Amino acid sequence: MCEQRARKLSDDYRERAVQLNIFDCSIWLGSPEGFPLAREMLFKKLEKEMSDFFITGGLISHWLGKTLSAQAGNRDLEEKAGMFPENMYGIWTGLPFYPSPSGPGPVPGKGRPHRSMRGVRIFPASHNYVPEEWVIGTLCEWLIRYNLPLFIWHTEINWPSLHRLAVCYPSLTIIVETQTKKILYHARMLFTLMRECSNILVETSNFSGQGYIEYVVKEFGAERLIFGSFMPVNDPLVPTGMIIDADIEEKDKLLIASGSIKRIIEEVHL
Amino acid sequence: MSTPRIIDAHLHLDPNSKFYTPEPQLKHLLKLMDRLSIRHAVCTDHLSMYEGAGEGLRNLKSVYEESGGRVYYLGVYHPGRAAACMKTIEEAVLWPGFAGLKIHPSFHGISADAPVYDPVWKFASEHDLAILTHSWSVSDYNPAQTLSTPGKFERYIDKYRNVRLVLAHAGGRGNGRHEVIRLINQYENVYTDIAGDIFCYRLIESLTGSISPDKILFGSDFPWLDPRANLARVMLTDMDNSSREKILRENALKVYKIGK
Ligand SMILES: [Zn+2]
Repeated sequence: MCEQRARKLSDDYRERAVQLNIFDCSIWLGSPEGFPLAREMLFKKLEKEMSDFFITGGLISHWLGKTLSAQAGNRDLEEKAGMFPENMYGIWTGLPFYPSPSGPGPVPGKGRPHRSMRGVRIFPASHNYVPEEWVIGTLCEWLIRYNLPLFIWHTEINWPSLHRLAVCYPSLTIIVETQTKKILYHARMLFTLMRECSNILVETSNFSGQGYIEYVVKEFGAERLIFGSFMPVNDPLVPTGMIIDADIEEKDKLLIASGSIKRIIEEVHL
Repeated sequence: MSTPRIIDAHLHLDPNSKFYTPEPQLKHLLKLMDRLSIRHAVCTDHLSMYEGAGEGLRNLKSVYEESGGRVYYLGVYHPGRAAACMKTIEEAVLWPGFAGLKIHPSFHGISADAPVYDPVWKFASEHDLAILTHSWSVSDYNPAQTLSTPGKFERYIDKYRNVRLVLAHAGGRGNGRHEVIRLINQYENVYTDIAGDIFCYRLIESLTGSISPDKILFGSDFPWLDPRANLARVMLTDMDNSSREKILRENALKVYKIGK
């Protein structure tokens, strides 16, 4: 491979990455926890970082929502919401509705969701509650009322609980995120759950097992995969590469890169 | 598309029941290599990881033939079965497609600086072979990773200066990376590959900014991971195209002396 060939290949990848028009559901502000080499993403650098990775819009989360408190993360998102670049929204952190949490955040009886909110993430393992219907049922019903998707890292819930939740609330869109450890070792449960429950979708930042993209597209359809980068912990080029070179139709690549999540957030009632 | 000439310098073959892989076999690999313009690969099999060089290595000899000379292979030195491994490796060094040696101190439970590794380093030195080793950072959920932190290899790197050592996975997702960078900058005979899920933000530019592009090899860790995950990182990270060519091909040719 001469230098010229390397350039041609690289240019071709670049062109295909741009064409994906990526909308990223996993962009994080604040200081990452548990990743010694990861640095904080500064809000003022967000647009530049996104454009370096061909990302044209997305959903922003805040590490403080996990590490300190749901309220601290939500407050930061609320303060910055007016300054979000175009095509950017927030994923707020949720807690069980009883005993009633203080705001800001999804709080029962406090009116409609914040205008920037396009999803809610819960951290049951880190925040010390079980993600079962008797504990988070009212939160789930609230999400369904506004058509808001629920985001959850696979490391924050066990598979039997996730299965029960998906079965109990079939109209709740649940986006299973592949962080913060390998989803690879859980693929048998994940794929079975996807087959059983059509409301289970998967975020792709760590969905890099051999042939996984083709497998899901063939078995369940491309609309079940949602592009996520987990930046600035993970390299957005990893999920991008999995799509660029996937042996699937172009329309399915576009669904994974942006189409599916855009449809979901368009249907949020605010 | 131009003639496929990329080299995947770190992969494996066949199912491993710890995880589900739809298509882990040689025919699937070759199809994927064609799709991704990958001409050659350097493979270690799962069986050899458990038993050391023996039956698994003989299977890889057939893999090389079946692949039409595209999939080269390494002999695994298991320090718990040193004598048997060395016996097979001594035979295999003459087989077509044999490209070097592999060690995995974390998997085999014996620290990389232990005296029991001396025979494999000595053999590599006498036969002008490369050694690929697992390397990682101290991990709070996998204590065995401390057996493979990059600094633990230094006594042998220093003793056998003509042995090309590839520290796999760029030292993992933690401080092992800094040790890899130090060793590569200090010793001419040390290299790294980017195989595995070291999906750290801006990793490739951090490596190309701290070490020579002559020292970095593209690898996937198929079938644990899909080659597409790491390939796009090399294709899309800003670097000059001569560096890209080195990472995707030239360095593997030089280190493993293959694919001519
Ligand atoms: Zn490996």
